[in-house]
Amino acid sequence: MSAVAESEPKALSAGYMAWYRFSRNPAALIGALMVISVILLAIFAPLIAPYPDDVGAKVDFRSRHMAPDWAHWMGTDKVGRDILTRVIFGFRVSLLLVIGVLGVAVPVGAVLGMLAGFFSGAVEKIISGFTNVMLAIPPLVMALAIGNVLEPNLVNAMLAITFLWWTWHARLVYRVSKSIAAEDYIEAARLAGASHWHILTREILPNCVSVISVKTTLDAAFVILFGATLSFLGLGVKPPTPDLGTMVADGRQFLPEMWWGVLGPGFAIFYATLGFNLLGDGLRDMFDVEV
Amino acid sequence: MLSNRILLLARRLVGFAGVMLVLSIIIFALARIVPGDPARIALGPSATQEQVDAMRQEMGLDKPLVQQYMDYVTHGVRGDFGKSLISGRQVSHEIASLLPATLELVIATVFLIVVISIPLGVMTARHRNSWIDNVGRFFSIVGVTMPSFLFAILLQLVAASFMPDWPVIGRINYSLDIPAGPTGLLVVDSILHGRWDVLGSALKHLAFPALALAMAGIGQITRITRSAMIEHQRRDHVLTLKSFGVPERVIIFRYLLKLSSIAPLTIMGLEFASLIGNAFVVEMVFSWGGFASYGLEAILQKDLNAVMAVVLVSGLFFVIANLVIDIALMVIDPRLRFKEAGV
Amino acid sequence: MSALLQIKDLDVSFMTYGYRSHILKNVSLEVPVGGRVALIGETGSGKSVTSKAVLGTLPDNATVEGGSIRFAGDDLLHLPQSKRDALKGTAFSIIMQDPLSSFNPVFRIGRHLDDVIYFADRRLGEKSDAADRRQRIHTVLRQVQLADPERVCRAYPSQLSGGMRQRVLIALALLHQPKLLIADEPGTALDVTTQDEIMKLINRLVSDNGLTLLMITHNLGVVRKMADDIYVMRKGEIVEHGTLATIFQTPQQAYTKQLIAAIPPLYGPKVVDQKPVEAETVVELSAVTKVFEEKFLFTRGAGHTAVRDVSLKIRRGEIFGLAGESGSGKTTVARMIMGLIRPSSGRIVVDGRDVSQAGRDSAFRRKIQIVYQNPGTSLNPKRTVGQTLTVPLQFSGARRGALNERIEKLLAQVELPAHFTSKYPHELSGGQKQRVAIARALAADPEILVLDEPTSALDVSVQKNVIDLLHRLRDELGLTFLFISHDLSLMRNFCSQIAIMLKGEIVEAGEPRTVFGDPQHPYTRALIAAVPVMSDAEDNLKPKTSREDQQRYLADAVT
Repeated sequence: MSAVAESEPKALSAGYMAWYRFSRNPAALIGALMVISVILLAIFAPLIAPYPDDVGAKVDFRSRHMAPDWAHWMGTDKVGRDILTRVIFGFRVSLLLVIGVLGVAVPVGAVLGMLAGFFSGAVEKIISGFTNVMLAIPPLVMALAIGNVLEPNLVNAMLAITFLWWTWHARLVYRVSKSIAAEDYIEAARLAGASHWHILTREILPNCVSVISVKTTLDAAFVILFGATLSFLGLGVKPPTPDLGTMVADGRQFLPEMWWGVLGPGFAIFYATLGFNLLGDGLRDMFDVEV
Repeated sequence: MLSNRILLLARRLVGFAGVMLVLSIIIFALARIVPGDPARIALGPSATQEQVDAMRQEMGLDKPLVQQYMDYVTHGVRGDFGKSLISGRQVSHEIASLLPATLELVIATVFLIVVISIPLGVMTARHRNSWIDNVGRFFSIVGVTMPSFLFAILLQLVAASFMPDWPVIGRINYSLDIPAGPTGLLVVDSILHGRWDVLGSALKHLAFPALALAMAGIGQITRITRSAMIEHQRRDHVLTLKSFGVPERVIIFRYLLKLSSIAPLTIMGLEFASLIGNAFVVEMVFSWGGFASYGLEAILQKDLNAVMAVVLVSGLFFVIANLVIDIALMVIDPRLRFKEAGV
Repeated sequence: MSALLQIKDLDVSFMTYGYRSHILKNVSLEVPVGGRVALIGETGSGKSVTSKAVLGTLPDNATVEGGSIRFAGDDLLHLPQSKRDALKGTAFSIIMQDPLSSFNPVFRIGRHLDDVIYFADRRLGEKSDAADRRQRIHTVLRQVQLADPERVCRAYPSQLSGGMRQRVLIALALLHQPKLLIADEPGTALDVTTQDEIMKLINRLVSDNGLTLLMITHNLGVVRKMADDIYVMRKGEIVEHGTLATIFQTPQQAYTKQLIAAIPPLYGPKVVDQKPVEAETVVELSAVTKVFEEKFLFTRGAGHTAVRDVSLKIRRGEIFGLAGESGSGKTTVARMIMGLIRPSSGRIVVDGRDVSQAGRDSAFRRKIQIVYQNPGTSLNPKRTVGQTLTVPLQFSGARRGALNERIEKLLAQVELPAHFTSKYPHELSGGQKQRVAIARALAADPEILVLDEPTSALDVSVQKNVIDLLHRLRDELGLTFLFISHDLSLMRNFCSQIAIMLKGEIVEAGEPRTVFGDPQHPYTRALIAAVPVMSDAEDNLKPKTSREDQQRYLADAVT
């Protein structure tokens, strides 16, 4: 009897099941649209923003503190600049921060996590021990301390955040790759003579990709949030570069009368973080992974 | 079996000691690469070079680095973090006087997180995919994604617009005669002294900052509780009880709730680090005048001794919170107690 | 006899990923009062869904499309929910399958029992106080032969052995003297000696209390002891129904015949003797001991001796069976031979070389390959069959051009078509995955193949094909097999040598014919006696064993 006849499985394809889960989740689709809009706004900011000149240190006292109207949808700030324009350019800073931080933290965390998960013994103990210690450091406090030691600007904010951020990825990838490393197929590959390199890159890594991508999407939201908090506290991007957190801090001085100075940039931050979060949640359901 | 528990705790304690050790090394190293001389900061720009040198000697900055670190640790363990470079007073005294304010805020926050997010998580899981679930999930995602400072400011705006009498800054109405001690937690002290007016004022002041600080945790813990409940609902042991007709509410509120509290508790331990961070922001917005405000001030003014102490005390906060959570987990989960070592 | 339970034309469908699939199609069966009825079928045949439909515990995505379930005259599907709930645990009860996951791990056993009895009492309108309930719980626990009810109640699920938990599950079902007892594969997850005890216990309880039994199982040997009337189920349909004798002696349907033919005989004329092999020794273990040290904090914990003083010889071309129950150390022995773990003392020589000195010599390592028990986890889900097979070929230095040819040949050897190279594991059935796993092992050009229960996760009908394939491969390629299993009937027919392990030691070894014909060690006798067989004739040929010996080797202690 041919083996093919042994009950041909009528399993649905993994791709179909993933798409089914994703498409049944309107929140995820909305999140995807929000993320795309933020990215497009950031890329084409000079074309989209109504007053591209207001990005710099322009001062126009005649139009300061104007409430939102048709000319200035989000009103103007204390020196008369259009807030909407600065918000759109602010997305650029936020996304740069995301790329800078995650571009370093994710690969570093993933590599360390995989190494710790695959090699038992000293490598595992050192990496996972160090990761656990780093996780215990209140990130904002540490970033503030670092940001203060160095000069406050975008690059240093990135450095400060990255310094702590890799730990979350390391922890996650460690957990996942450790469970994968214990699977029979890894031992089989080893018995077949496969090199460590082969096992790490071809056997373990592909199984971590979905987890890493979900985590990275969710993290984009938290990096934006974190960066905004840093600059809100005065330790982020330097003026006059438009930055959402700084704008909220500036606007706060004129509360509660000039509420638009806070609400516009505040909701811009919320819009971006919400978008990435909804998308990440959708991807998590889609890949059916625990992050 | 008791010894198993103690060994487990001992292991955690060793881990936490390691955390504090590495944290102290990092922060010490960082403090020593700061551009700018701490002695110069302390004395101001008008001081002479001799004065600065004398100060350096007094602060021990002329000794080798390892020696400096050892001194720092031995003093630190006894609660001596040196003098503030700005005020010139003992950092530990300053922190000790401000700690109760932050402690009060953090305890209130944890209380809010637990009483709001666990019922919410259970409810959303129970009515999965209904409107309750959707509202709850929306609420939790807003909590997770909205920056604490924005939420804090929004609360202030709401108060300014609709509740003009509601206090939005400070810990208490200072025109009241505030009872002194013994805990420094206004809520506790006022109850101990039977001062209900003070209690009312303290609670009113506490409500918004605690809510602002709790939002992120509420969102996170609601989500985790919900998914843990849903995950466990599919398990065989639920089927066992269902097959014998144990009512659903008993299955949910007795059996599933306890089992599903393990995951959120674990996460709460990790999240504590970011809660401490957010306290800096919330205290600033609400002019809370606690330890975190002090820390922020120290950082902005480059008061190195204070910054180092603030970071270490924050770390200690985290460690203690996690120790408490570990003990709670051991009470809840017998598998941790009876698990054979290493198996 | 009137029917206690009567299922008629039951149709159940499940909604998954937007697709509706019929899991039960026109299922009809009857359980007479006082009868013992078995529902047999392989994984996914719908037998458990049937029992859930009766109990009213179908998952949310299931819909009953049609049909009726009558219990003592009442149509369960049209009863109001409260009435239906009232029957649970009192009119009918279920004995759950997996003893560990059937209890909530953070509650004591006593809590589970008390809640079940309390709420059932309330539904029956009976008042009961805590002391009275405790009394009743203890009585029932003693009935299921748990000698210390107090201690069992105080224990958490993880503190009891599998056998004890299974007994508690039975006690749970008996708390209110139900009329109908539904047993869903009881004891399947347990060792064969424990399983045997559980079967005897259920049988006795059923006859002592005059219960009606609906037994759900995939094990025909169990059915023979536990049922008088049999329904055979396949892909959601009842394909055959008859009395025990008719089904076993004159099965009508091809599927039933296949199921019965797939069970290897333990005794009798149909038993196959593998010829003993006269060849040089290829694996030799002398006085091998393995102690697992448990490090805890900085202190050294107690050592756990997994393997104690084991010596054995495997000849080239032999099928050497290593039998034993879980925890007997058989897998540890195999892993030491493969060089994956080091023995604490003793010497292991493979093909004339000391394993511990071979080190990282990968050519030497490749001589031994393994086929794992669980086909679901033995293939990387992210790699195609072709990619999986490439690894051993590539690392033994095969050229690119020759690769495809070699893969096709390997697939042909395990009877899979060449286009399977591009398939991912989730597109394959369990049997097909196991064939790919065998092909992967062969790709390394091994001399010795370790087979770690290669068929126990497969359905019986598939098992036989895989075993036949393994036989053919050994003959064609001149392989040596080290076969690890707890399935004694299979080993009796498949192995040319067999060794029985108990708690890390080999208690008996030799040719299967001698070991099974005249077992010397009391444990071997107890083990063989516990194996469910297909006929009375085989039962009579089993070695005689005393009640004490059976009890002595039960792995049934409080941990």
